[in-house]
Amino acid sequence: MIAAIGLLVGVLLGLLLQPTVPVWLDPYLPIAVVAALDAVFGALRAFLDGIFDDKVFVVSFVSNVLIAALIVYLGDKLGVGGQLSTGVIVVLGIRIFSNVAAIRRHVFHA
Amino acid sequence: MVDDRGTPRPGTGLLDHLTATSLDEDYAHVSERRAAAGSSSRGRPGTAALVVLAVFGVLVATAALQTARNAQQSASSRESLVRQVNAGNADLAQRRTDLADLRHEVSVLQSQQLAATSEGRALGQQLDRLGVVTGAAATRGPGIQVVVDDAPHPSSDKELVQAGDLQKLVNGLWLVGAEAISINGQRLTALSPIRDAAGAITVNFRSLTAPYTVSAIGDRKSMGARLLDTAGGQTWLTLESTFGMKFDVESKDTMVLPAARRTSLRYAHMPESTQPPHRDGSGVGGGQ
Repeated sequence: MIAAIGLLVGVLLGLLLQPTVPVWLDPYLPIAVVAALDAVFGALRAFLDGIFDDKVFVVSFVSNVLIAALIVYLGDKLGVGGQLSTGVIVVLGIRIFSNVAAIRRHVFHA
Repeated sequence: MVDDRGTPRPGTGLLDHLTATSLDEDYAHVSERRAAAGSSSRGRPGTAALVVLAVFGVLVATAALQTARNAQQSASSRESLVRQVNAGNADLAQRRTDLADLRHEVSVLQSQQLAATSEGRALGQQLDRLGVVTGAAATRGPGIQVVVDDAPHPSSDKELVQAGDLQKLVNGLWLVGAEAISINGQRLTALSPIRDAAGAITVNFRSLTAPYTVSAIGDRKSMGARLLDTAGGQTWLTLESTFGMKFDVESKDTMVLPAARRTSLRYAHMPESTQPPHRDGSGVGGGQ
């Protein structure tokens, strides 16, 4: 419940304030969103597993976002930004899928 | 493949590892520690989770808005590019019209100037004659029209009209006294190339498509018959009978051949009656 409220408040805030993203941050925003999505689904699964922890969630969220952005930044500097982004997206995508599969097992008991 | 700690053994696949460790191990660690400490309270999201989720919401909304904004921007920049291209095209067309007008004006002025004196009139006549021969002026007159084309169902390159075949035909026409020749509306000058380029025949560096209509102004009664006696005519008779290519010669009462697209002045000399300008002479100090 509290999670849904937080999410809703955040989306509304974003839509209302419409923060402008600095140009240099623009390429890293999508990858940060995917990394954050991974952390959120991980947290949901942990919650359903009954082992959720606030601190772990905060740390995993922040570190996910920062590391994903950092990898892409590094890749951009080395000239392999596109390939590294693809790699990060693939890894995070697989994690999201398997987490969602676990969540599905919890919810539908199937 | 993977042990219960989720650590891959050497040689296991990356995908297995990813699937096995998709949940952060820290959750398990912390809950184990908590269970060891005795506080068995089931993990519930608190304020920190709320804040982080709010941040996540902002992130998602911002990313979505940013993507939408970028799409709008690229669309508008594309539109402005299209506008620039259209404006440039219109400008170019306008300038081409201006150019044609100015050229016409120059030729009118030239003929006026020449018509003013008898010497000028003679010069004008000479210019007209030379214009016909060099291709500098559009020409009207009787002549013959030769239409050539590939064989109906060509199975090899031999059954297609080659640039060399057209060259022979054109040389034959010059030989039997053609005064002006054009191929598919491309007027030939002494410097007009007829060449094969990338599967097409180019004349004056313009690609032509079959059928090729070669118009030649000259004596329309005799040119057609005499053409068949030349090497070019013989070649084409052979091509017609051997490969089934089209080779039709027709005489025309009047034809209009356009002027050559571009004639540039390559050589000029001072008329003999005029004094040579002092830069040609040895008298450096002699002014005029």
